[in-house]
Amino acid sequence: MNVQEEGFVDVVQRARDLGCRVPTGLALLPRNFESAGSKDELLHESEAPTVRILWRRAGLVETPIEPEGERFPQISEKSFDEWVAPTIFVSGALMSQNPAVLSVALGVISNYLTECLKGIPMRSREAKLDVVVQVGKGQYRRLHYKGPVEGLQELPAIAREVGWNEPEGD
Amino acid sequence: MNPRVTEFLDEFRETVAECRRFCYAARAREFQAESITTLDTLESDIAALKAEMVELRDEDAANCLLSLSLAARALSYELNMWVALKDDSAALAWDCLVEAQTCASDAVCAHRISDHLEQYVDRLEILEGLLFPPITFMSAGMVIQESHCSICGCEYGDCDHAKGEVYMGEMCTRVITKAALQGASIVPEPANKHARMVGISDGDGMRDLLTWRLIPPADDEGSATGG
Repeated sequence: MNVQEEGFVDVVQRARDLGCRVPTGLALLPRNFESAGSKDELLHESEAPTVRILWRRAGLVETPIEPEGERFPQISEKSFDEWVAPTIFVSGALMSQNPAVLSVALGVISNYLTECLKGIPMRSREAKLDVVVQVGKGQYRRLHYKGPVEGLQELPAIAREVGWNEPEGD
Repeated sequence: MNPRVTEFLDEFRETVAECRRFCYAARAREFQAESITTLDTLESDIAALKAEMVELRDEDAANCLLSLSLAARALSYELNMWVALKDDSAALAWDCLVEAQTCASDAVCAHRISDHLEQYVDRLEILEGLLFPPITFMSAGMVIQESHCSICGCEYGDCDHAKGEVYMGEMCTRVITKAALQGASIVPEPANKHARMVGISDGDGMRDLLTWRLIPPADDEGSATGG
């Protein structure tokens, strides 16, 4: 299994502290979401716009943390031993309303990567991706995946296992 | 598939098979140079046919022809690599190999017609290890502030074109127009294999890392090669 699990900051509180919009469903979190000193320091992974394109085409609605009309810069490190995805956040409310959402969100990324990476040597066809899920009120955990693209499909089941199904209306 | 493209495929396969015969070190330089010219002509023919398919809005045919064009170019670069090695131009040979690898990879991504080239990608990887010494690669880290889509010109991410995908015979790329350089680092697997350490200083001066020859110092600034 290529998945590691660890604690993560209170996403809602952190978003408020930084002056960002609070993600209520599916969202992308900047690489330095936990450590940035201010909103101006936030940096997305360079593939964040690509993931947004894929989700939009699949009809998935994102609740971005960027304040209306703002964009966060993206950091690009031109190494190619793996494809680095942005951190994906799924709220407890969305997981309870639509348990399949993470499978769909990761599925479109996986399909895209399968096509785009098929021309490079097999040993470089790896992906790195973090998923942050809510495990309780104000409690979050990060699932870190690093491995072959096809292994991304393992993540939704693990996320459902550790995730918290927020009661409706809570 | 468009019948014009199907008909052209026979000519393509025949020409490529003929040129591939010379993708070996032992083959004579003149045949390799001749094959490069043949492939240049083939690429021109592909470009003309692709323009026709774009005119007809036949996207599958246009994408297929892009893939064939990239495959022909990959082969041409490989032949250029062999010629450059025979001409004792190691740096040029390296650049040609990197271009061949890039074109072959893009050909595979562009259309299923080139799925079989995954083996050719592996062959080029093997040649890299056999023909060139271990290379130290560099990578530039940067913060991207502005970029646009090569297909429609929109801010990248605002349109539905994703980089690496092919639209009407053109591969989408992300064109970075404003970025802040963060630094350079040594990486084992760079995205750009052209970014490499070219020389190293030892007691005798600066050595070319490919040929191990001493690099002559610059005429006006001897200190430029000091390390």
